Amino acid sequence: MSTDSRTVIVGLDGVPFGMLKKFGETGVMPNTHEIIKNGYFSKLRSSIPEISSVAWSSIITGANAAEHGIFGFIDTHPGTYSMRFPNYTDVKVKPFWEVARGESVIVNVPATYPVRPMNGVHVAGFVAIDFNKSVYPSQLVPLLKDMDYRLDVDASKAHTSMDDFLEDVDKTLDARIAAYRYLWKNQDWQNFMLIFTGTDRLMHFLWCAYADENHKYHELFVDHFRKIDVVIGEIVADLNENDTLLILSDHGFEGLETEFYVNRLLIEKGLLQFNPGTDPNLSNIAYGSKAFALDPARIFINQKGKYPEGSVAPEDRESVITELTAVFSEFEINGKKAIKHIYRKEDVYSGPYIDEGADLILIAESGINLKGAMGAKQMTGKGPFTGKHTLDDAFLLINKKIDAGQLPPTPSVIDAGQYIKSKVS
Amino acid sequence: MKDKFDHLDKLESQSVFIIREAYSQYRDVALLWSIGKDSTCLLWLVRKAFFGKIPFPVLHIDTTHKFKEIYDFREKYAKEWDLNLVIAKNEDALARGVGPDTGKFECCNELKTVALKQAIAEYGYKALYLGIRRDEHGIRAKERVFSPRDEDFEWDYKNQPPELWDQYKTKAAEEEHIRVHPILGWREIDIWEYTRRENIPVNSLYFAQDQKRFRSIGCETCCGPVDSQADSIDKIIEELKITKISERSGRAQDKESDYMMQKLRSLGYM
Ligand SMILES: [Zn+2]
Repeated sequence: MSTDSRTVIVGLDGVPFGMLKKFGETGVMPNTHEIIKNGYFSKLRSSIPEISSVAWSSIITGANAAEHGIFGFIDTHPGTYSMRFPNYTDVKVKPFWEVARGESVIVNVPATYPVRPMNGVHVAGFVAIDFNKSVYPSQLVPLLKDMDYRLDVDASKAHTSMDDFLEDVDKTLDARIAAYRYLWKNQDWQNFMLIFTGTDRLMHFLWCAYADENHKYHELFVDHFRKIDVVIGEIVADLNENDTLLILSDHGFEGLETEFYVNRLLIEKGLLQFNPGTDPNLSNIAYGSKAFALDPARIFINQKGKYPEGSVAPEDRESVITELTAVFSEFEINGKKAIKHIYRKEDVYSGPYIDEGADLILIAESGINLKGAMGAKQMTGKGPFTGKHTLDDAFLLINKKIDAGQLPPTPSVIDAGQYIKSKVS
Repeated sequence: MKDKFDHLDKLESQSVFIIREAYSQYRDVALLWSIGKDSTCLLWLVRKAFFGKIPFPVLHIDTTHKFKEIYDFREKYAKEWDLNLVIAKNEDALARGVGPDTGKFECCNELKTVALKQAIAEYGYKALYLGIRRDEHGIRAKERVFSPRDEDFEWDYKNQPPELWDQYKTKAAEEEHIRVHPILGWREIDIWEYTRRENIPVNSLYFAQDQKRFRSIGCETCCGPVDSQADSIDKIIEELKITKISERSGRAQDKESDYMMQKLRSLGYM
């Protein structure tokens, strides 16, 4: 490989294989379509669970959750029931830019907050809170603020006004593009990673607008992807022959029919109880509870020695797993099974931090969105969301054909991460 | 009162066990002393474990932005306890002018984290004793559980899995040193009750002046005092029994959790 070959990674958070293909074929994303025709295009398997923090951590490290240590957006402090929010400082494997040759520009990768010094520029993504802790080097802060750069779409707006939300989505995208254009030209780099996350936010609230061509927001939805395709066109035009361009998503998406509140089922089956007279939250869990769920559907056995009110003896773990597996595999919504896969952590994770993972991770049947939702009054319901994540149909697109053996036939986000590491080092 | 003493005796003997065990395993060790109440309590336990004379260095990472009271305390007790005190600074960063004004993240990272890395590289420590506690919230709580707990929610060092030290060795390969947390199972109130019982010197910053006191101390610019009337250890212990405000709430780091929760909620998590 020539030493000046560069690697460019463009992420489209949550975009499913089928949507990209369709937008290519229907002329919404002509530049992307060209790459699909001439390069490598495959479905990509997301992480388990199929959420951005876990999946992007695998993409940037090439490691699974028991190695990189990110299992979800929310966890408990070890040995307690108190909530914590894992962040970039918890990622135990170095991201590719810390092992790459040359400088890197990293923009808006989820779960990379707060930033730390690195060789190049790093602007953190979701959940980034404090601007000053989201930008390295800090000299770039005023410049990004001048561009009206936004760390993330304010999704709370979608709960009150869809128009306000869409305006925010659009402004966030414009500012992200302005920041990318500035850094692309003015910064020295060997590796460039730019993630668009407005795609995921749009699909959560407006999958319905994608699915229905007559929906009043359909065109706005599609325009978002047109804008991104323009960026992809610019990037392609600026690439040298030896450069590699990867475009990928971290998980797929589909329409949401029903939300299924997993903790509610545990409560109704007597597997989860709270102290009398207290609110249904984890800090009030009663001794005797066998399990609880953290979002999206990670089931933790309330094991003795692991939690203060732990009541399942280690030797009883297997029988509780059997009990839980039966409860979830039998559960039906409107006469149809709700759970497609029940993964044991031993089967999907391997590495030094496996103890921190949930005992079971559930993946739902199509159309069903799983949530912990400890306070839910019913087993199922529907909120303002019309789309939900999927496991099997993220995508990976590369601007050239791939030599056999460089990627397995059905690659995962971990494979994609290892491929990226091999490219940049 | 007898019960209370039993509880503290138990904590003390567990900690002393861990301290001696780690020293016999690693030898090239140092104690990280922030000069706050926890690491001073740990230092006290280490002195006890080695009968008054600590056989290894005591490392202070000096950002140069600490409170004056911290420096005074350091000098006084380093002499009185005959400590082999090693003071480490990130001289390069300080020369570049890194400080609270150039950005708190960079300041903290360069003057604490990088300075510590430099010190470990320079002195070749294989293990570091840290005075962190499990009931502290915020960024430190990501530390791994040291050992299983028994029914009383104490950790039970006798029940350690045999691979305990191996686990730490695994970690060492990555980070090049081992972190030992002898007071991981202590609560804030245990620290104060033990401090009172043992008459461990306390930095005056912890005592209320003008209705305010510090519950945790560090750099002058990153610490905020909490409202308090407690101007003695007795009053601090009373205050802790009735208050539910988190110990580090005076520090900026934990306010972020609220925002994170809001952001996650808006996307349907939580
Ligand atoms: Zn999403």
